[in-house]
Amino acid sequence: MGWTLEQRQRLALEHQVLQREGFDQFGVYHYAADDSYSAGGLATANSGYQYRLWIPIPSGYPHQRPPMYITSPDPLLMFDMKPVSSLGVSHQMHTLIPLAGWPQICHWRDTRWHSGILLQKVFLKGLLWIEAYEQHLTTGRSIADFVSTMAERA
Amino acid sequence: MSDPQQQQMIREAMKSIAERKPGRTKLVYDKTKRTIVAVAEGVQAPRALNITADDADMFAVVTLSSAWLRDNWALLKQDGRIPASLSSWDDGDAMTHSVLGVQPSPHIESSLILFTETTPPAGQDLRIILTPTADSPDRPGTFAAPDGQTYRAVCVRGTNNAEEKPEVYFADIQPELATRRSGILESAILQDKCVLVIGVGTGGAHAAVELAKCGVGRFILVDRDRLGVGNVVRHPGSISQVGRYKVNVVQDLIHEKNPAAQVAAHALTVSHESCEQIRVLIAQADVVICGTDNRPSKLLINQMCIEQKKPAIYGGAFRRAYGGQVLRVRPGESPCQQCFVSAMPEAAADEEVSTSADADEIAYSDRPVAVEPGLSLDVLPIANMLTKLALLDLLAGKESSLSMLERDFDAPWYLWLNRPEPGTQYASWPPLSESSDEMTIHRWYGIYFERDPDCPACGNFLGSLAAHYGLDLGSLEEVPALPGKEG
Repeated sequence: MGWTLEQRQRLALEHQVLQREGFDQFGVYHYAADDSYSAGGLATANSGYQYRLWIPIPSGYPHQRPPMYITSPDPLLMFDMKPVSSLGVSHQMHTLIPLAGWPQICHWRDTRWHSGILLQKVFLKGLLWIEAYEQHLTTGRSIADFVSTMAERA
Repeated sequence: MSDPQQQQMIREAMKSIAERKPGRTKLVYDKTKRTIVAVAEGVQAPRALNITADDADMFAVVTLSSAWLRDNWALLKQDGRIPASLSSWDDGDAMTHSVLGVQPSPHIESSLILFTETTPPAGQDLRIILTPTADSPDRPGTFAAPDGQTYRAVCVRGTNNAEEKPEVYFADIQPELATRRSGILESAILQDKCVLVIGVGTGGAHAAVELAKCGVGRFILVDRDRLGVGNVVRHPGSISQVGRYKVNVVQDLIHEKNPAAQVAAHALTVSHESCEQIRVLIAQADVVICGTDNRPSKLLINQMCIEQKKPAIYGGAFRRAYGGQVLRVRPGESPCQQCFVSAMPEAAADEEVSTSADADEIAYSDRPVAVEPGLSLDVLPIANMLTKLALLDLLAGKESSLSMLERDFDAPWYLWLNRPEPGTQYASWPPLSESSDEMTIHRWYGIYFERDPDCPACGNFLGSLAAHYGLDLGSLEEVPALPGKEG
C-alpha cells in the first residue's frame, strides 16, 4: 500500500513546520527509489557536540508512532564505555529497541502516541534526551535522573 | 374398591400438578391410611403430607428441535424412522436434541424417531413415537407437522421389562426466544443488524453475548488471543474451553443464546499491518464495539471508523477495574477517541493492565509492569453500559420501546466508579449513604465535552495547521529528496 494524499500532505506540512519553527537543522525527506520517507538532521548539544537523529517514517504515520534513532556517533557509548544500544528497552536510560546498533530514544511509548503529535515535538524530545545523555556522561547518573517521564500532552 | 369420586379428584389433582397450575383439589399423603388421597383445596387434612409439583417431577425430559423435525419431515415420512442424537445431562434426567446447541454433553444417546406404529429395530433402547392427535399443537408434547396434522410424541426408554416414558417437549427456538423479548424489542427488529466486536475479552465477550440475547442477527468478532486458565475468572468462556481462540469461544456462546445468529470469527491482531482487513470488516458493520484495552488499537479503530462514518463504542476499565469509562463516537456529531485523548489525557491513559501482553507494552527491561486485572464483577457494569449504548445505535431510526432512552443517553462519555481508589481524584468521594448531590461510586455519570474542530482524526487538523503558517494545503512544496537511503 502506498502513501495516501493526506499522509504526503502531512509530511510536507511537517517539513514546513520544522523550517518555520527554528528546527531547520531537521527536515522530512523523500527517497524516490522506494517511495519512502524519513526525517532527520544533525542535532547540536549545548556543549557543541553533534549527534545525528534519524526517524524512518512508518507506513501508518501519523497514527503509528515513528521511532527515533541516534545514528552518529556510532556506537554511542555510556559513561562505562558500553554501547547505549546494549541496554535494549531501558527505563533508566529512556531507550527502546535499538536498530543495527543505533539506540532508539524513547520519546513516546506506543501506548501514549497519537496522531496529534508533530515531528517537531519528537525532535524536541530528542534534543532533551541528548542534553540528559551528556549529563550522564559527566556524572555517571542515569538519564532518568535528568528527564522525568515523558509528558503526556503533545 | 376404589371410590369413583376419589379417583376423579385424584385425576384432577394430578392434572393440575402436571400443568403446575392451582386446581380445585390437591394431593396429600395420608399418614393414617398410608396412601395418597385427594382432598378439596383448602380442606385441612390432619396427619397428612402435602404433595407438590416438585414431588411429582420425577420423569426425565426429552427436548426435540421443532425446526429440525420440520426440515426432516419428508425423510421421516418416507423411511418411517429417523435417528436423532440427544445430549444426555444429569444421568439421563434431561436429554436435549444435540442440534439445539453447539456445546453437546459428553454423554450422547442415540434415539430413533418413529413415524406412527413403525416397528423399531431390535436393541433400540430410546425411541420417540409420533402418532396423530386431535390435541392442540400448543399443548406440551405435540408437534405441528408440515403436512398440517398435529402429532403427539411419546418417548419410550428401555425394554418391556424395565420401561420408562420420559416426557417429550418440542422447542421452537426463534419464536420462543422472541416471545421473551416482545414488548421491549420486537422480534425481528435487530435480526438484520451487524455488530463488529473488536476485542472479545471480558467486556467485549459479555457485550456480544448480551446483544445476541437481544436478537442481534449478525456478529463479526476480532481478537488474536486464546482463552487462558487465568481468563476464566472473568471471561464468560469456561475451563473446558481453555486454549481456544476467544473469538471461537464467543462464537459458540452467541450460538448458545441465539442459534440463528450469523457469526464470523477472525483471530486477528489489530495493527497497522492488519488495517486493510479491519477496514473491510468495519464496512460490513452497523455498529463497532471496541473492547481492546490499549490506546494504539483504540485510536486505530477510531481512525478507520471515522473514515467510514461508522458509530463506535469504546469501553475500558481503569487499573484493577476501580472504575471504567465508555465513549460513544458518532462521526461528525460527537467527539471521537482522538478528541477524548487530547481533551482528557489523564482519563484516557488510565487503563487496566489485564494481560502480560498489555504489561509488556508499557514495561521497560529494567522496570517491569505487573499484571493487575480487576474483578469480573467490576468489569460487567462497564460492559453493560457498552452494550446498552450499542443497542441504542442499532435501534436508531427504528420504533422501539427503548427509543425514549435516546433522550437520557445523550452524553458522549460515561464514567463509573466501583470504589474510591486511593491516590486518585475520586478518593475523597463520600459514602453512598452520606451523599445528597455529590458524586459517589456505583452511579453512572454522563459527561459532555466538545468535539475538537482541529482534531487530527475527525477534524480539520491539516487545514488548520497550514492556515496557522499561512500555507495552502493544496500547493505545499514537496519535501526534499534524499540522494541515498539511510538505515
